[in-house]
Amino acid sequence: MKDFWLGLRAIVIKDIVVELRAKQVLPTMIVLGMLIVFILRMASESSSTSAGAPVMGAAALWIAFLFSGLLAQERSFAAEQQNGCIDGLLLAPLDPGTIYLAKLVANVVMLSIFELIVVPIGLISFDLHVGGRWPQLLAVLLLGNLGISSVGTLFSAAVQLTRTRGSLLSIVVLVILMPMLIPASFALLVLFGAMPEQVGGTGSLAFVGSFRAALGYLLAFDAVFVVACWLLFPVVIQE
Amino acid sequence: MHETMAENRLTGPALNVCSVSKTFVARPVLRGVDLAVPGGQAVCLCGVNGAGKSTLLRIVAGLLHADRGTAAIHGFDIRKQAEAAKRKLGVVSHASMVYPELTVGENLNFAARLHGLADRTSRIEELLTLTELAPYRHDRAAILSRGLLQRLAIARALLHRPVVLLADEPFTGLDTGATERLLAIFDRFVRDGGAILMTTHDTRLGLRCCRRVAVLDKGVLVLDAMTDEIEPDRFCTDYLSYARSMS
Amino acid sequence: MRRLLFALAIGLLMVSTYLGLTTGQIAPVQRNILYAHVPNAVCALLCFVVLLIASIGYLGNGRQGWDLVAIASAEAGFVFATILNATGMIFSRAEWNIWWTPSPRLVSSAILWFLYAVYLILRVSLPGSRHRNARICAVFGIIAFLDVPLVFISARFLPDIHRPNFSFDSGWQTAALMLGMAGTVLLAGGLIWLRTSLLHSNLKLEEELFP
Repeated sequence: MKDFWLGLRAIVIKDIVVELRAKQVLPTMIVLGMLIVFILRMASESSSTSAGAPVMGAAALWIAFLFSGLLAQERSFAAEQQNGCIDGLLLAPLDPGTIYLAKLVANVVMLSIFELIVVPIGLISFDLHVGGRWPQLLAVLLLGNLGISSVGTLFSAAVQLTRTRGSLLSIVVLVILMPMLIPASFALLVLFGAMPEQVGGTGSLAFVGSFRAALGYLLAFDAVFVVACWLLFPVVIQE
Repeated sequence: MHETMAENRLTGPALNVCSVSKTFVARPVLRGVDLAVPGGQAVCLCGVNGAGKSTLLRIVAGLLHADRGTAAIHGFDIRKQAEAAKRKLGVVSHASMVYPELTVGENLNFAARLHGLADRTSRIEELLTLTELAPYRHDRAAILSRGLLQRLAIARALLHRPVVLLADEPFTGLDTGATERLLAIFDRFVRDGGAILMTTHDTRLGLRCCRRVAVLDKGVLVLDAMTDEIEPDRFCTDYLSYARSMS
Repeated sequence: MRRLLFALAIGLLMVSTYLGLTTGQIAPVQRNILYAHVPNAVCALLCFVVLLIASIGYLGNGRQGWDLVAIASAEAGFVFATILNATGMIFSRAEWNIWWTPSPRLVSSAILWFLYAVYLILRVSLPGSRHRNARICAVFGIIAFLDVPLVFISARFLPDIHRPNFSFDSGWQTAALMLGMAGTVLLAGGLIWLRTSLLHSNLKLEEELFP
């Protein structure tokens, strides 16, 4: 058990140190995120009602997270391809699931750094105010982060050798995460003041029902997918 | 604690390959290969490209699953008792398994943590001395020459005191000095009781380094003999025909 | 045996079509779509269940048969999901004058279609050994299935613009729907069976030609 934590910590720290020194992916992620926010802000320029801003803002943020998240996840295993480092990890007396969890933590950290920078930029661009609900916003961002990273980490290991690596990873991760986007959007819209806390009627967002339900869905989604991906990772990593 | 338990378990060879077979799509790459290497012996595995040498090594290391057969390191099955087996196994290949952004010391530190070594610092010092890498301790791996990189790979492989060393084309791209250094390290490893299974295209070097030689041809071991029993010149000129003539 | 299955399936579908066309007071377009739409929905979901079972089976014992069934059910499921979404859109346009709206059931149907589409793309895009690709696709099949209960739940339990307000006038219509359902399910089974054996024959041929 002690070995588990030692190994986990070692890989997480190694991943972060390597990325901080390589200085490749994190800047790209942040610039991509900012570009997405900027482009969508320009696209919604014509919207005269201020009611449009929260919707576009929420959309911009989730799209930015998804695509920048994909960059981070692709990196996490691409970095292991050079010099055959992935073999070094597999030759260690570690359960392959530990490698998954370590990569997951590293990806969550990277995406969190990204969120800390891009979310304020998004809020400012779309003139959104969260008021006193910062803790809730952080919770939603963290849960979304975990969901995106869990699926992305698993499949980035799977698509490593392909030519169309990035785009293949994108479609796989996006399709699996589609159901998560509904409660995620709901949660953000409530926080941005565009929706009341409880909603009835028909429509996908109404299906979620309330902010608490949205958080519940995100939590359930994360729990199920982290466990499922962790269990299936050894299958994917094996040659 | 681990060491004594492991010692007690070992009654057979340090490395034991039993009837390993592997087929890729419709192509059989290994067909029932048996190889037992006792401690204190180095085996040189020769064969043309595609004969299955690297595949066999990868199966023994647990990086690839065999279709049939087993491989055991120090008595531990590489699949069923993977963790215990990997603790006893060191691997050197033509890929260095080293992170370019980390320094030499950091790479070794990482490897030590992966293996859960208790005496990390002293062990790293030992290996830096053994491989004469101490002056480069704070240099990033990206700027190391091929020879230095190989030394780092060896240090990484020996860090956790393995009893079996797998070396896949370890002399590729090394100059004379680096080659001699590597030979010395292998020599010492074998004298200390370790077992080595190496593959190389340079048959002269292989014969010099190893006490036993085996030839793999189309997935089958066609020759498995002690080095002093074979004729080195005939062997080095064309080991395949030599092997066929012997069987 | 397989011919019997197909004959039965087609027979049931013909009876169902006849009954559907000749009875009942629902407006023509909606009615026809309904009898096609609902069975397709059931089959699209069923095929995914088959895909899940085949994926688990393949990861369990690595026998190629499981993998072939997975491919076949993904292809069949894709077809059913396409028809499901298409008929759904036609019905929606006829009944409520919109082609699509993000209501739970429609969104879930779209997700189902996308899941199948990505699975099929994965199948052809991954390089590497067939065994490894099959394993990765099996992993995708299992993870993707975790999205499917959402489809099922939303279809059964939620208030939705989707649920049409009509009731059947006579037993014949219910019969038409049930027969159509049975026929389509049998058709799905037959298609998967046929496709699996085609893939199997292909494989055998490849092995003989390129030993």
